[in-house]
Amino acid sequence: MMHQGFLDIAGLSAGYGATQVLGGLDLSIGEGEFVALLGASGCGKTTLLRAIAGFATPSAGRISVAGQDVTHRPPDKRGMALVFQSYALWPHMSVARNIGYGLKLRGRSKAEIARRVGELEELLGLTGLGDRKPAALSGGQRQRVALGRALAVDPRILLLDEPLSNLDARIRLKVRHDISALQKRLGITAVHVTHDREEAMVMADRIVILDRGRIAQQGTPQALYNRPETSFVAAFMGAENRIELSAGIEGDTVAILAGPHNAPARLPRDGRPLSSGPLEARFRAEAARLLPAAEGEDVATSDVTDEALDLAGRVETASYPGGAWRHSVRIGDETLLVDAPEPFAQGAAVRIRIPAPALFLFDRPGEVPGPNEGSTGNGPRGRALEALKT
Amino acid sequence: MQRRLPALLLVLPALTVILFLFVLPLALSVAGAFETETGFGLDNFVKSFALYSSDMIFTLMIVGLSTCMIGLVSIAIGGYLTLGENPRAVAILRWLYRWPLFIPFIVVGQVLRTFLAKNGLMNNILVGAGLITPLQAISFLDWRGIVIAFVWKQTPFVTLLLAGAMASVDRGTIEAARNLGASRARILVEILVPQVARTLMVGLVLSFVTMMSVLSVPLMINAQSPTMLTADIAFRINAYGDYGVANALGLISLAATACVAWFYLRQSMRDRG
Repeated sequence: MMHQGFLDIAGLSAGYGATQVLGGLDLSIGEGEFVALLGASGCGKTTLLRAIAGFATPSAGRISVAGQDVTHRPPDKRGMALVFQSYALWPHMSVARNIGYGLKLRGRSKAEIARRVGELEELLGLTGLGDRKPAALSGGQRQRVALGRALAVDPRILLLDEPLSNLDARIRLKVRHDISALQKRLGITAVHVTHDREEAMVMADRIVILDRGRIAQQGTPQALYNRPETSFVAAFMGAENRIELSAGIEGDTVAILAGPHNAPARLPRDGRPLSSGPLEARFRAEAARLLPAAEGEDVATSDVTDEALDLAGRVETASYPGGAWRHSVRIGDETLLVDAPEPFAQGAAVRIRIPAPALFLFDRPGEVPGPNEGSTGNGPRGRALEALKT
Repeated sequence: MQRRLPALLLVLPALTVILFLFVLPLALSVAGAFETETGFGLDNFVKSFALYSSDMIFTLMIVGLSTCMIGLVSIAIGGYLTLGENPRAVAILRWLYRWPLFIPFIVVGQVLRTFLAKNGLMNNILVGAGLITPLQAISFLDWRGIVIAFVWKQTPFVTLLLAGAMASVDRGTIEAARNLGASRARILVEILVPQVARTLMVGLVLSFVTMMSVLSVPLMINAQSPTMLTADIAFRINAYGDYGVANALGLISLAATACVAWFYLRQSMRDRG
């Protein structure tokens, strides 16, 4: 990657007491870059941010800013400012005093503080609110005061700890754009922690997905969305539908074998590190098409399809979340969600057609079909494997 | 409408207790303060001010000074419990500071009497350590002894309230200040204490009222003149059976505590408004 490494994290381990949350994590962030740390709760994203900010002491590893080691520096000597999830505004101080406190600590003159606070109030659309206490502000305004307080000290790196999670859904959409526009305008380096995929995609130049204290994958929003490297990342990026397949790899082609619910297919391998045997496939509800199927049709014996995978199932329910009808389709013991422009009747036999680029394939390690396949006690999986052997 | 009667009946026992055990005795005492041999008048108050005005000032000075010191010490302890970075020191302090809470005032008076006397434990230690000579030893059994006793006994109570309030302050507000470079002392004074100011006020007002009503400590530590009003009230009743002046002195004490309570109420109303 082309990052110059402005903020460098090398071999960072951190945790609370005996629990290790981060294990030897490496991350390099370029100057002026907006990086989102994305992950489910407990994945270590907040711990990583707090370690960068200096509030959590790492047990191993190094954090450096512009080549200078800051691992053991106190939080205020790192050139970073943190925006807290709860905003953490001081309730007894006015908006202007909240924003100006960092400058007051640096011993700036009253006139200079007033000028800078005025600038920030204007920049953040808080003009005229300087004398109010935080309790008299809306959620969005409080959030901007918190941002102003962090920006007042001209930090080189802005750290954002889920700053939008306490806002109403509607305001959140606007504030997302406000924050990333501001970050671009100021050219500041930003690290943003969130568990909201869409938020990360809209705001960040680069997304780092964390899973159990390790980086699962990192890259541009498009790269993560279209080419997830693991099943975990695919699921996190919205490909919640999961099916199990069996395939043989033939050069640049993945030959999907016919299964009890899927037709055989030949798909481009596209450089993916796959090996012959059991595969796991994931796709998004909106990426598949729903086609009517004839009653009693057997997909396993249908023709080999190119560039798409066909599954056979039965519609359980259909609902309208907006834009398209979302169908819950039963495939064997699994239920998949698939969108279609028109609703299908309940109980209708359907085919789900997933175009090759929208089908994410991964090896299923440790699930080689063998004599002890039943011992996992996993009903549908065991049955799928039995069916494959016949 | 028919529900009123059962509701009244339910409240009645509590109301009766308050009326007969609290309102009535208070009313009798207030009335008693104005009763003289020649009917109602201000004679008791004239006598009280003539005999005990120096004691009134002494009482207010001692209790006021103690309140200020209790405030400072409890802020220091509460602050360390909240901001301290040495977990072992914090744990030890947390365990230690509450002890005086469980010791009655009379025992505090007794303990400090043997500790602070001219040839008490404190001076013996200082002499033994070679810090002072026996001739330099002085007794602390005067106003200083009372202040020490009050601060020692009441600080844990205020600290208990204060440390609880400090612990419930959003840690983010502390970390945000640290993030911007505030020292721990500044965080304590500028971030933490303002957020728990109301709790601190409540604790100090309650302590003020408690100290105004303590009889044992002034009797044990400082039996000479000037002394505190509680000792004077006891003396008027025990030595002379003079309930009139005793009641007048009681009313004056009540007026002093009412001033503090009023100040607190006004402050809290302003905060809310």
